[in-house]
Amino acid sequence: MSTQLSMQDKKDLEKFTKYLALRAAQIIVQSRSGQKVNTMCKPDSSAGDWFNLAIKELPEVSADAKRALCGEIVSSSVPLCIEISLKTVEGDKMVLETWSLGVLPEQSDPTVRVTYTVYNRMGILLKSLLSVSRTAPAYKLSRRQGPDSYTMCYRIYMGDPQLHNLGDNYKHMRVGQLCTPVGTIHLSVSYRTKMTISPTHKGRDSIMLKSDHFHSDLSPRHARYQQSEETSKSLSDTIKVGAFVINKPVIVNEEDLVIPDVPFSSLLTPKQTSPPPGLLMNPTNTKTATAGATTDSNNGNNERLNNDNTTSKCASQNGSRRSSCSMTSANDDFIMVDLKTPFAVTNTNSDVGAFYRDCQSAPQLQAFMEERTLAEQLGDLTKQLETFETNMQHYEDMLSSLCQTENNN
Amino acid sequence: MNARTQLFELSMEGRQVDEAVASIFHTVLFHRSLGKFKYKQEGSYSVGTVGYQDVDCDFIDLTYVCCSSVYLDQTLKREISGFSEALRSTDSPGSGQISLEFFQRKKSRWPFQPECIPWEVWTVRLELIKLATEHERQICREKVGDLLTEKILYITEVMNRHDYVPKVPSQAELDLIFDTSYPDIQPYLFKMSFTTSSPSTTTMGNTMKKLIRETLSI
Repeated sequence: MSTQLSMQDKKDLEKFTKYLALRAAQIIVQSRSGQKVNTMCKPDSSAGDWFNLAIKELPEVSADAKRALCGEIVSSSVPLCIEISLKTVEGDKMVLETWSLGVLPEQSDPTVRVTYTVYNRMGILLKSLLSVSRTAPAYKLSRRQGPDSYTMCYRIYMGDPQLHNLGDNYKHMRVGQLCTPVGTIHLSVSYRTKMTISPTHKGRDSIMLKSDHFHSDLSPRHARYQQSEETSKSLSDTIKVGAFVINKPVIVNEEDLVIPDVPFSSLLTPKQTSPPPGLLMNPTNTKTATAGATTDSNNGNNERLNNDNTTSKCASQNGSRRSSCSMTSANDDFIMVDLKTPFAVTNTNSDVGAFYRDCQSAPQLQAFMEERTLAEQLGDLTKQLETFETNMQHYEDMLSSLCQTENNN
Repeated sequence: MNARTQLFELSMEGRQVDEAVASIFHTVLFHRSLGKFKYKQEGSYSVGTVGYQDVDCDFIDLTYVCCSSVYLDQTLKREISGFSEALRSTDSPGSGQISLEFFQRKKSRWPFQPECIPWEVWTVRLELIKLATEHERQICREKVGDLLTEKILYITEVMNRHDYVPKVPSQAELDLIFDTSYPDIQPYLFKMSFTTSSPSTTTMGNTMKKLIRETLSI
């Protein structure tokens, strides 16, 4: 195989491969500089423009690559590696990707033309490298680098790629390959997928940043809706306990609910714990105090039942000067408060409140007031039919008169 | 000879169309463009250098590389925006396709036009989607970026298979293979074409409407 290759071709191939490695190193390192690259097309290429591609040359990168190559890549059994890592301001380091360019001597094509075909295909491989280098995850990271966050570093070495630095589940991506008379040149990259950094420097406090500001689940609007849903569960839950109040459930005796004849008599007996007068006006509070078990109940029937109890008790003390509350069960959210001032003259006859109560709900139909037997009801029906029949003439007259008026119009 | 065909199917928002198509076609053309040939004497020529630039997309999470040729970019933009406008117009069916076709010319006898023989065709078939929220747009922006990354990797894979490309001819026949109209680069001869079509699942009503419309237009 090598005997078929002329000395000139062999020399050319070595030279091309060396420049391919040098240009690949430039492309990779420059792609991680964080800068957008823009080179001009030149109708006349100069001596340095290898592979007809306008690749900028950073002298530092060239020197590093040349030092690492240290001879011929073609004759080397190990590939050239370019390692890209991220370094934070804290000094933490993480290897992001390792590019490797090597020659596999097992697969070769002695018929391929070195000067023309191999050279052009190397140009295509470098173009592919340019395209692929922008798609790897490290590219996006490199564009966001800065002196106060993190910077990108590179390392060029000859040897098998050190993939253990890339963490678990690293990925492999092939850029391309080309056959030469001495073997197949292949270019590929292995890159990290787990981007968590384990800090090596402890005791450094950094601000915890939360990036959920625009997360819809955590927006104040959403939170507000949630809150209102909770409120609707139980009204009693919303009752706030004062900051310095001893959190002790208030035990109320049934007698306490009945307002004594002497107003504010409870004030005269300070030792007795009695509910505040306003308690009666709060149906929910009463409920929690008396029924206890129905606290979480939102059932309208329960509430009504409770309210009825309260009013009936108040009614039994009729005539006394009292503050009573009456809840209209038909409309739960309306509470009619009938206030009786303790020192005013009692006037039960002109009770506006009572009048209002009477008018608020529709009166019961008379039909349902008196129970009637089936025979009575049936007798009614025959009587009705008889009247309809006797009035038949009258109905017909009315119908014909209606028809006539229609015609007149 | 049968032309190699590649088909990419994508769905995206209307505003992403131009950038998505450009990223695919520019990547292909970057690989299918050579430096400008300059002939010194018969059989001897020099090849110019191809410059390149990074392009950041506005509506897709993607950066791609293309030839830094203003004229080539203009040609592509013109055709792609024609497609984009047709696809996004109000009477558009919401899907369509655009093709980049490489061809070579074959001389024919006068008075016939030279025959065009395609050797590689890249087709991008698009379906438009509508998004309601900014959150969905952000997801779509990343998703389309990932999909295009896959396509770019596939393009480089195809390019490195070293399949058939027309041979570099003599100076006299150069423009049968290459587009020599660009002052800075020399791409293989190519043309672009697009169509907008109804989605594949056409209903009977639509088919009838189309038939009637077509009959009337004759």
